[in-house]
Amino acid sequence: MLFLAPMLVVLSVVAVFPVVYSFWISLFDLRLTRPRSVPFVWFDNYAQVFADPLFWTSVARTATFTVMAVAAIMVIATLMALLLNEEFRGRRILSAVLLVPWAIPYVADGLMWKWIYDSGYGALNGLLYQLDFIDKYMVWLGDTRKTLALIANAFVWKEVPLATILLLVTMKSIPADLYGAAKVDGANVWQRFVHVTLPALRPGFMLVMIYETMMAVRHFDLFFILTEGGPANASHVLAWDVYVETFRKLSFGTGAALAYLIALITFLLAFSIIRTMGKKL
Amino acid sequence: MTPRAARIGRNLLLLAASLLFLGYVLAPVAWLVSSSFQSESEITSKPPHWIPHQPTLKNFEAIFGAGERDVTYETRRKADPSSGGFIPSTAKNLLPAMWNSFIVAISVVVLNLLVSVPAAYAMAKIRFIGRQTSIYAMLVTRVIPDIALVVPFFLFIRKLGLLDHVGSLIITYLAITIPFSVFILVGYFESLPDELDKAARVDGCSRLQALLRVFLPLALPSLVAMILFAFLTSWNEFLLALMFTQTPASQTMPIVVASFTSDFTISFSFINAAGVLAVVPPVILAIVFERYIVSGLTAGAVKG
Repeated sequence: MLFLAPMLVVLSVVAVFPVVYSFWISLFDLRLTRPRSVPFVWFDNYAQVFADPLFWTSVARTATFTVMAVAAIMVIATLMALLLNEEFRGRRILSAVLLVPWAIPYVADGLMWKWIYDSGYGALNGLLYQLDFIDKYMVWLGDTRKTLALIANAFVWKEVPLATILLLVTMKSIPADLYGAAKVDGANVWQRFVHVTLPALRPGFMLVMIYETMMAVRHFDLFFILTEGGPANASHVLAWDVYVETFRKLSFGTGAALAYLIALITFLLAFSIIRTMGKKL
Repeated sequence: MTPRAARIGRNLLLLAASLLFLGYVLAPVAWLVSSSFQSESEITSKPPHWIPHQPTLKNFEAIFGAGERDVTYETRRKADPSSGGFIPSTAKNLLPAMWNSFIVAISVVVLNLLVSVPAAYAMAKIRFIGRQTSIYAMLVTRVIPDIALVVPFFLFIRKLGLLDHVGSLIITYLAITIPFSVFILVGYFESLPDELDKAARVDGCSRLQALLRVFLPLALPSLVAMILFAFLTSWNEFLLALMFTQTPASQTMPIVVASFTSDFTISFSFINAAGVLAVVPPVILAIVFERYIVSGLTAGAVKG
């Protein structure tokens, strides 16, 4: 028991206590701009959050961002895992290189894509122009219709490696006999992929979906670095809303209430993914 | 189709797929590195120079020599903008910030070892009531988004008087690293036979001796993975550092780099040089310890 003590102490102070305390704070009208009076307001903060139209639009944007990002991650990671599952010379180099996006900080990921998307001198414009896809440089992040998708792309690029590694382990655990049997039954490559690989990958897909959905819903870093919620609130997602409430408006009560709602949404999403995908297993 | 033709076809397909793979993963980073060696005038050429025509170390010199130069509004104005004179006065903060990041990451690693190793041993090898529950309970703490922890952490850190002090980061990073560390180690310890533990105890080892002399040497791969994850998480963390640090005294690398990107007057060639410095340590660690990282990441997946 003595062995567990340090962990229990540390985790209760830095993980359990904040969660309880956070809920407690969310019941008070705590504003740093008015530190002397902190009235207890029951669930007023939650009511305020729900009454704010910006909250509902940020829920919609978070959902859009999450769906785009998770779908893209699943497709790209599946393709990459299929490649790494083959035996060929140079495979080891690919799997080492794959860790590069995973290892670098989100700040570096953000500045890198910000520079690529740059409307004046960015690589995206340069490349598309050289390939004759566009005849003049375009605005990317500044275009409200493209912002979310472009941020999602930067997110996907960094998250794909982990998803690939997780899918690859699942792929490696598929018994070779299954493919042999399918071959004997006359299934071609595509049929073997659809009828053997995909069903066997379901646990891997589920894991990746739950994890990446959780990561996407709460993601903050790229929204700060690439757009700061702009342009015209086009990337004002839930995590950004918490930041604005808490550290720009200094309204800790509503900030905590919002943060609690995000935690709740994450739980519900993870739960419903397990329920729906678990049933098909 | 002859077997030979089929083999060539397969190889061509694999080659094409590998090139796509490499392009997707590396091209953005290659462009970051390439533009960090370009001057302001070269970086603003249309279309871009994919490979620098006149590579320059100016941007890196600006970072490493920033402490000696006094950058004021006047000296900055006098500098020739077209030659890349737009070096921000905050350039000198980058190296101290990297040092702060390093201190925080190392402290987090050490504390992780002290806390997680005994806890993981206990969970894996000592039977007690609620053992399984405690593993799940610990993982659940990671389902809570960091952003939900920000407000209580902030008030807590303020009460401790640790705002704008690296200590605030060390404490809060423990919350985000320990659960995963324990999880990796528990998995590994469980895979080691219980007989080892019994044998060591029969030979007169105490629990602590059994842990230190028998299990730790055997668990080396998982320890390496754990150390790497704790280090990288701390080195890369952004949100909490943004909330709790305000001055260069405690700001970490991600915060200083982010402050460059939000300043429109700073040349992207300089920002990219800062970005390159930020990615070099994690990339080296990832490539050198690839095997440990992959096994650490997948250990969780197979069990979960």
